[in-house]
Amino acid sequence: MLNCDEYLTPGTLDEAFDLMERHAGGYRIVAGATDVLPWARQGRAGDVHYPALIDISRVAELEGFERRGDRLRLGANVTFSDFMNDPGLREALPIMPQVAVWFADDQIREQATLAGNIINASPAADGTPPMIALNGSVTLARRRGGKRRERRLELVDFVTGPAATRLEEGEILTAIECDLLAGYGTAFEKVGHRRSLVISTVCVACLVKLDREGRRFEDVRLALAGVGPVPARLDECESFLAGKPVAAESVREAARLPMGRVQSRTRREYRREVVFNFVERALVDALAALGVDLTPQEPVLQKVSHG
Amino acid sequence: MASLDMHATVNGREVRKPAGSHMRLLDYLRDELNLTGTKEGCGAGECGSCSVFVDGVLMKSCLMPVAKAKGAVIETVEGLAARGELSVLQKAFHKTGASQCGYCIPGMVMAATAALRSNAYADREEIKERLGGNICRCTGYQKIFDAVELARDVGNGTLTARALEAVDEERQADSFIGSNVRRIDAPSKVSGALKYAGDMVVPGMLHMQVLRSPVPHARIVELDVSEAEAMPGVEGVITCRDVPGTDGFGVFTHDQPIMARDRVRYVGEAIAAVAAEDLLTAKRALARIKLRLEELPAVFDPEAALAPGAPVLHEGAPDNVVMRIPIRKGDVDKALAEADLVVEESYATQAIEHAYLEPEAGLAYLEADGTLTIQSPSQNITHHRHMLSKILSLPINKVRMIMSPVGGGFGGKEDMIYQGMLGLMVLKTRQPVRYIYTREESILSTAKRHPTRTRCRMGLTRDGRILATEMKLLADGGAYAMSTEGVMRKAAILAAGPYAIPNVRIDTLGVYTNNTPSGAFRSFGALQSEFVTESHLDICAEKLGLDPIEIRRINAMRDGAVTHTKQTLGSVSLLKVLEAVEKSSGWEPGPPGVRGPERADLGGPGARRPCTLGARFRKPGADDKQEVA
Repeated sequence: MLNCDEYLTPGTLDEAFDLMERHAGGYRIVAGATDVLPWARQGRAGDVHYPALIDISRVAELEGFERRGDRLRLGANVTFSDFMNDPGLREALPIMPQVAVWFADDQIREQATLAGNIINASPAADGTPPMIALNGSVTLARRRGGKRRERRLELVDFVTGPAATRLEEGEILTAIECDLLAGYGTAFEKVGHRRSLVISTVCVACLVKLDREGRRFEDVRLALAGVGPVPARLDECESFLAGKPVAAESVREAARLPMGRVQSRTRREYRREVVFNFVERALVDALAALGVDLTPQEPVLQKVSHG
Repeated sequence: MASLDMHATVNGREVRKPAGSHMRLLDYLRDELNLTGTKEGCGAGECGSCSVFVDGVLMKSCLMPVAKAKGAVIETVEGLAARGELSVLQKAFHKTGASQCGYCIPGMVMAATAALRSNAYADREEIKERLGGNICRCTGYQKIFDAVELARDVGNGTLTARALEAVDEERQADSFIGSNVRRIDAPSKVSGALKYAGDMVVPGMLHMQVLRSPVPHARIVELDVSEAEAMPGVEGVITCRDVPGTDGFGVFTHDQPIMARDRVRYVGEAIAAVAAEDLLTAKRALARIKLRLEELPAVFDPEAALAPGAPVLHEGAPDNVVMRIPIRKGDVDKALAEADLVVEESYATQAIEHAYLEPEAGLAYLEADGTLTIQSPSQNITHHRHMLSKILSLPINKVRMIMSPVGGGFGGKEDMIYQGMLGLMVLKTRQPVRYIYTREESILSTAKRHPTRTRCRMGLTRDGRILATEMKLLADGGAYAMSTEGVMRKAAILAAGPYAIPNVRIDTLGVYTNNTPSGAFRSFGALQSEFVTESHLDICAEKLGLDPIEIRRINAMRDGAVTHTKQTLGSVSLLKVLEAVEKSSGWEPGPPGVRGPERADLGGPGARRPCTLGARFRKPGADDKQEVA
C-alpha cells in the first residue's frame, strides 16, 4: 500500500521545486504511478509511506516534444500512448510505436511515461533500449539558491543498475533527447508473458541503415535489455556489421555475438537462445522495413517461440 | 489516517468527499462512493477488473492514486446506461453468454465500450487488442468478442436491436440441452450490480488482516498479541488459543487448525488475525504482534518426504503419507512379459494456481438469535458448516453459511481456508467482520493443483492392443491433507483411461511436504493421471506406427464395459467422441512424427489465432499482414 501525508500536484516546474525544497528528504516524485503502486505491495516494497508524493504529471513545461536539428527533445510527461497516437511523434520516432505496443495495454500506456520507465531503471525496461540505440541523453534539472541548473547525461551512463540511476536528491528528469534518424528500418522484439503484464524477459531494439545501393550496412544500432543489470548497446554486433554486405549469413553471425552477455541469475541457457534468435529476427525485421527480405528458411533454434 | 480533499464528477454527478491518503481511485469508488461494480482482481494493473473512464480515457483505477483524479470526469460501469437499463454492449454481453463468473465483466464491458468508442467499426482483431489489458478466466474470450461484434453491428445499424433480444427459436421444444439459454444472473453481472463478498458492507463492520508465516517449517516459540490488542481502533485479535471447540479441518482428514497451533508448516500459513475499525489500523496492528519462530528442518520434495529420517509434518502420519490408493486387476507381470512392446516413461506435472479473478473474501456477522452467518464464495458450504460447528463449538443450527456469488472457483474455493478465522473473530468481537485477500495473499497461501511425478509402463501387442498398464503416481500434497485423499482416489480410478485393459496395476500416493497445500482443482486428480496415459498412448502409437486416434479406437471401452474398479457402464460414448474429433479437426491420419514440420490440419477454419499486435493500425485498404506497428 502506498500512503502519504500529502499528495501534491504542482502546475509548474518552479512549484515542483518549491515543494521539493519544502519536503526535502521526505518526498517521492510520481509521474504515471503505474510502477510505484504495484511496487508498494506485498512481496516487493510492502506498505510504503512518504510524507509527500509530488505528482509532476500536470507540470506544463514537461509536456510535448520539439525537434532541435538532428535531435528530438521529449518532455518528461510524454506517455507511451503519445508515441502511438501523436502523428508528429510517430513520424519522428517510428520505432517507438513498436515499443509502445509491446510495453503494456492501452490503459497503462495512457498513464505511463517514458521518463518514468527510464528512471525506474528496471533491467528489463522496454523504453530504455530504443533510447540507448538512439544515443539518448537525459536532462536533469535542479534549483539552487533560486537559480535553475541543468545537466545532461548520456542515457547509458545515467542508468547504473537495477533501480539505480545517477539522479540526485533535488533533481527532476525534465527531458529525454535522442537522435532524429531518417531512412532507417526499425524493429522491436520482446519475449515475456502476456504483454499487458509487467516485465519482459528479454527485449531488443534495432535500427538499420543501408548504403545508397542498399547492398551494405551503413549504420546498425542494437540495444538489449533483460539479460544483465542494465540495458546495453550491442557494440560488437554493430561494428561487426558496419560496412558488410547485406546477407543472411552475416546477420546470423552477428546475432551469435551477444549471447555471452547473458548474466541473468535464472534460465541462462534459455535467455542465450532467446538473445540469439531475437537479435537475428530484429535485424531481419528492420531490414524488411527497408524492403530487404532475409527471412531465414528455417530458424536455427525452433523451440524459442515468439511472444 | 491523513485525508485528502477530493472532488470529481462521477457518472454525471458532482462528488465532494474527502479521500484517505492511501486510496487509489479504485478504493475511493468502492469504499467512499459504494460503486462496487468496479472490482479489484490483482491491485497491480494486470487484470483490468477495475477499468474506468477518467476524462474519457480508459484507465486502470488500481494504478491511479485518488488525488490524480481530482477534478476529473469519471465514468464507471454503473454509469454506462440509465438506471435500471442496460447499454447496447451490456445487452450484447447478456445475449451471447459472455459473462460466466462475472467478476471480470464490468471491466471487460468498460474496455469494450472504449474499443467501440474509439472505432465504431473495429474488427475482431482490433477488438482483441483493445481488450488486451483485461483478463477473463472463465470464458476463453470468444463469447466476449462475439458480444462486442454484436454490439458494434447493432450500433452501426448493420443489425437491428432485435438481435439483442432473446429469440424464441433458439429454445428447442422441451429441452434446455442443445438450446441457447440466457443466464438469469447476467444482467446483474454486466451492469456491475451483483455483490460479491468483497462488495458487501454492513454497519459497524470491522476489517480483518492476517499474520502469516514467513518460513516453511518452524516451532512457534512466542506469540504475544497484547500490544496489538491494546491499539486504539483494534477490536479483536485471535490466535488458535481462542478456538472454543475441536480445532481441525480438511475434506477427509481434519489435520489443519484454523490458525497455526504450536507449529507452522508452510510459508503463508495463518498464525493470528486482527480486526480493526479500518484496514490501515488492522495492518499496523499486525506489525505489533510479537512472533518468535524456531525454524525446523523442512522437506519440499515428495520423494524426500518418504525417505527414512525425513522431517515429519504430522504426528498422525509418521511416514508423511496422506493417502495411498492401489488398484489391482489381472496379472500385470505376466502380461508385460508376453507383450510385443513394453514402453516405460516418466511424467511430471506442476503446481498450478487457480487464478480466479475474485480473490478470496468473506463477510461474517451474528444474527439477533446468535446465529453466526458467514457469506463467502465457498463451493462447499454444507461441509464447511459442519466443520465450523465442531471447531467453534456451536450447535449446527447456529452456523449459517451463505454462498456469495463465486467470482471464479475452479475448485479453489472448495477447500475451507479462511471461514474459520472469520467466524471466530465475529464470536470474539460480536461485531460484523469482513476479510478480503490481496492477490498476493491468495497466491501465497491458498491451495494449488497437486504436482505429480509418475512412472508408467505399458505392454502392447504388435497390432496395438494394450495388454497391461502399470502406473505409480506420487503427488505433493503440501503441508495439510485438504482434498488430497479424494484427489488420489480419482487419479487412481481414472488413471488407465477409458480403455479396456485386462491387466492393471495402479498406485497413487499423496504425501505431506512443507510446500503450499495442494487441494481441489478442476478435474480433481484426473488431469494428472490421464495426462500420463494419453501422452503414453501417443508414444506407443509412434513406436507401433499407428495413428494416435486408431490406437485409442482399438482399445476403447464399449457399451457394457466394466471399469478397472468394477463399475458396469451402460453406454460408452468414446468412439463417437473420437469420430467427432477426427472429423471436426480435419485430422490428418497417420502415425505421429511422420508428417514433418508442416501439418495440413493446422491453422484451418475453426482454428484459433492469437491476438495480432497493432491490429488497429492497419493501413486503409491493406490486408491483415500490413501493420504499421
